[in-house]
Amino acid sequence: MARAKKMAPRDNGAPDYKKNLHPLMAKNYGKWSYHEKLRPGVLVHGAENGDRLYTVRAGSPRTLSVDKVRQICDIADKYCQGHLRFTSRANVEFLLANEADIDPLIKEVNETLGFPVGGTGHSISNIVHTQGWLHCNLPGTDAAGSVKALMDLLYEEFVTDDSLPARVKISASCCQINCGGQADISINLQHHHPPRIKPEGVGVCELPKVVAICPVAAIRPRQDETGKTTLEVVDEKCMYCGACHGQCPTMEIRDAKTDTLSIWLGGKTASTRKGPSFMRLAVWGLPNNTPRWPEVGAAVRKILDVYKQTGRPYERIGEWVDRIGWKRFFELTGFPFTKYHIDDSPLARSTFNTSSHVRL
Amino acid sequence: MGGGFRRVYPENRPDHGGINKDEGLGESGARRPHVASLQQFGGLLESKRVYLHLLVNPYSCAINFAFRYIKRIGWQNQMKGSGMSSENKINTSMIDDLESGPWPSFVKDLKSLATKKPAVGQLLGQLNQSYEDRWNYWQGTVLNVDGYGGGVIARYSELAEKYPDIAQFHTIRIIPPAGWVYSTATLRELCDIWEKHSAGIIQLHGMTGDILLLGSDNKSTFDAAEELMEHGWDLGGSGAALRTLACCVGQARCEMALIDTMAIQTHITNTYISELHRPEFPYKYKFKISGCANDCACAMQRSDMPIIGTWRGPMQIDQAEVGKFVDGHGADFVIDNVITRCPTNCISLKDNQIEVDDDNCVRCMHCINVMHKALKPGKDRGATILIGGKRTLKIGDTMSSVLVPFMKLQTEEDWEKLTDLVERIWEFWGEHALEHERVGEFINRIGLGAFLDGVGLEPHPEMITAPRSNPYIKFEELAPGMLEGESGHDPAVVNEEVESMESTNS
Amino acid sequence: MSFELNGATYETDEDGYLLNLDQWSKEVADYLAAEEDVEMTEAHWEVINFLREYYEEYKIAPMIRILTKAIGKKLGKEKGNTKYLYELYPGGPAKQACKIAGLPKPTGCV
Repeated sequence: MARAKKMAPRDNGAPDYKKNLHPLMAKNYGKWSYHEKLRPGVLVHGAENGDRLYTVRAGSPRTLSVDKVRQICDIADKYCQGHLRFTSRANVEFLLANEADIDPLIKEVNETLGFPVGGTGHSISNIVHTQGWLHCNLPGTDAAGSVKALMDLLYEEFVTDDSLPARVKISASCCQINCGGQADISINLQHHHPPRIKPEGVGVCELPKVVAICPVAAIRPRQDETGKTTLEVVDEKCMYCGACHGQCPTMEIRDAKTDTLSIWLGGKTASTRKGPSFMRLAVWGLPNNTPRWPEVGAAVRKILDVYKQTGRPYERIGEWVDRIGWKRFFELTGFPFTKYHIDDSPLARSTFNTSSHVRL
Repeated sequence: MGGGFRRVYPENRPDHGGINKDEGLGESGARRPHVASLQQFGGLLESKRVYLHLLVNPYSCAINFAFRYIKRIGWQNQMKGSGMSSENKINTSMIDDLESGPWPSFVKDLKSLATKKPAVGQLLGQLNQSYEDRWNYWQGTVLNVDGYGGGVIARYSELAEKYPDIAQFHTIRIIPPAGWVYSTATLRELCDIWEKHSAGIIQLHGMTGDILLLGSDNKSTFDAAEELMEHGWDLGGSGAALRTLACCVGQARCEMALIDTMAIQTHITNTYISELHRPEFPYKYKFKISGCANDCACAMQRSDMPIIGTWRGPMQIDQAEVGKFVDGHGADFVIDNVITRCPTNCISLKDNQIEVDDDNCVRCMHCINVMHKALKPGKDRGATILIGGKRTLKIGDTMSSVLVPFMKLQTEEDWEKLTDLVERIWEFWGEHALEHERVGEFINRIGLGAFLDGVGLEPHPEMITAPRSNPYIKFEELAPGMLEGESGHDPAVVNEEVESMESTNS
Repeated sequence: MSFELNGATYETDEDGYLLNLDQWSKEVADYLAAEEDVEMTEAHWEVINFLREYYEEYKIAPMIRILTKAIGKKLGKEKGNTKYLYELYPGGPAKQACKIAGLPKPTGCV
């Protein structure tokens, strides 16, 4: 374990963003006055002094080889004065000073990188996702692959920007920790079983922490036959969240045979109009069907089709369902409404219909 | 890498045993909820599946299958050329399917990387195994670079015997430039350093906002980190620490940005770089910074402390542009999509002119988004500071709630007010929170009122949507004795009394 | 994995953490510290002893804040911070000091 004693400087902090700004960004920092959408995936931002900065947004798979990153750099060197940025949804934004460079850049982005241009306006932008089987220690499903499969299906909605009432943000999570975040549409994994304890692994976990992390107090210490302290789970209390699994890997929550996927709708973080909202359970029990999860894709497609037909302009999915009501949502989509859609958490009552308002 | 005690191979998966046996769940379909559910809309799925297949795989004719097969063989030959023996051929038959379709394929890209980095081929092999078994083969561990308590997400493969080059396969989190802006020189430097030491995979970016560098082993993690730090890069946060910050593009390219998100992010990062690198909190703490209520950084729900740009006073209205917009889109459009969408009904259209009741405007940005040339935010700008957002684990999602309705954040002196508040919160939360308790969970447990007392903030009506409806209240000022100006229930005073009684007695 | 020390065998995980925590002794700590390139001084032992005592009582490793406060109380306020702990244990109090103290391996990133 001996390491080199000569050490690089520590605590450098964040790289200087000023050195990484496109020259027109640096020159017009804080002095932008308007923007226009030129076509799907292409924006122009106008500065007070008349400067115009063009942005071409392209969808990336997020997981990139160093060579792919260099290819991206090659294009940015050729057309973008050597500058680009990424969005929070893993889109690459090529920044151009010259309008004439837009077409040749898009051609190279499409052909050399194989990246589509789009994701602006009322489109489906890139899906934010977690690591999944590629690099996480807890996942019950993949993310990069299911996202690739889903974006193949939603490609048209990425490259156009007027086919939907409003923008649709999608996230994907691989376990019930749900790192994927709130979104208009979210694909989440569901476990259906309390953790199964691997007795041989219990000894190396900090047992009080495992007991304490359970949000429903379903885990308690127990003496095994040899008098050693181990753990047991009260099945009736357990809600299969897997919080203990992150704390102690021996609390195996996953089950390749029974884990399923569910679709949640209506999450929004922007404070526009009525403000942020949480997503709600819409479809459950979809199989974890590698390599393309067609049942998930079909359900998302169904939701989008109905949203396109009945949503109003600027109405995000959550606002749309709020307006038409969940009864009509289930009617229009054909998805079954079940008792599992009714919340049973301590906050459940806030989701009950406490008026006589009903859609008949 | 001997036989690990925690290894889980397919043949001894936990669904075959363990002390919580419930054989019925693992085996039969009786309680498998998706079976019933799928049957209920099975018809839909069946018909869609055909459609799906066509859409997913527009080239799914025989010729193309043949073409893909040849391509695959070609790749395997290349793999052989890269030092893999033929009997150890890597099976990627399942994930090969993800090479087709219009969306860019990470499988295709990584396969091309695998021709020079054998570890990447083995990574794909393991991923394919996961696709076949629907099971994960990474084990988490801890690895720290000297002086750091986080920043490396360390993984051991449980299939190391089959895939020795990914026995140790770690991620280094790197702090990106604020707003994820890069010069190509910056990115190329990162690529060159990373390729030298690792399998050469980069994710731009992780969910928190870090640059993720994948594919180093125990030793090369240290070597790569040293070289990266030599070039001015630094590790991101992990564990119970301040996490790497994220912000929108802000004033670098957006006329809506009401605060300098990039500068604020960089300032917080560098001020608290020790808290970011050396975990000392009850649990993680995230800031995200958005220049306006559109919240492009997803701060409201994805961070413990969102900072959202806003303004005081009147909105700016260019009535000439309003006229142009109404002429272009029609008054009906403006009424349907702007006027009636205002959450507080504070905007109206009269004679092709917009009027705004600024006292009731909640700065939601909707009308400005739609009519962005005619309407602009006001000139007295600052931020709303919120607290307590997080994702599901453990009590369910929490949305952030208002902590400071308006704070100027234009100058470094303004930023000091922010960091002063942050430090008070960290001190109070750090002292009283349970382990693994996010600040939002902590507030849920102790109450927002107690939290405000603890961090020294006055209650403000903008912190709530409505006062309580629950009438059972402990009014400190109205407790027995307090009305007459006596000590009441002040525990400190009671203790003094008890002590003085004891001393009198003895 | 395992190592031999004074005729006894000690099972460890792949990162060198003791699997049987009851096997810990001062000699084992010295051995593990040498593996980590840490030269044990009185100051190092203060940390190890606190970790051991805390673990004996609560069966968990203390939160870092509890550790820094305890060290600060004992050795003076200027030492009650993470900077001091990382000077002693560059690999971090959670990862490196816990290992030398014979405590369980801390869990991951979630």
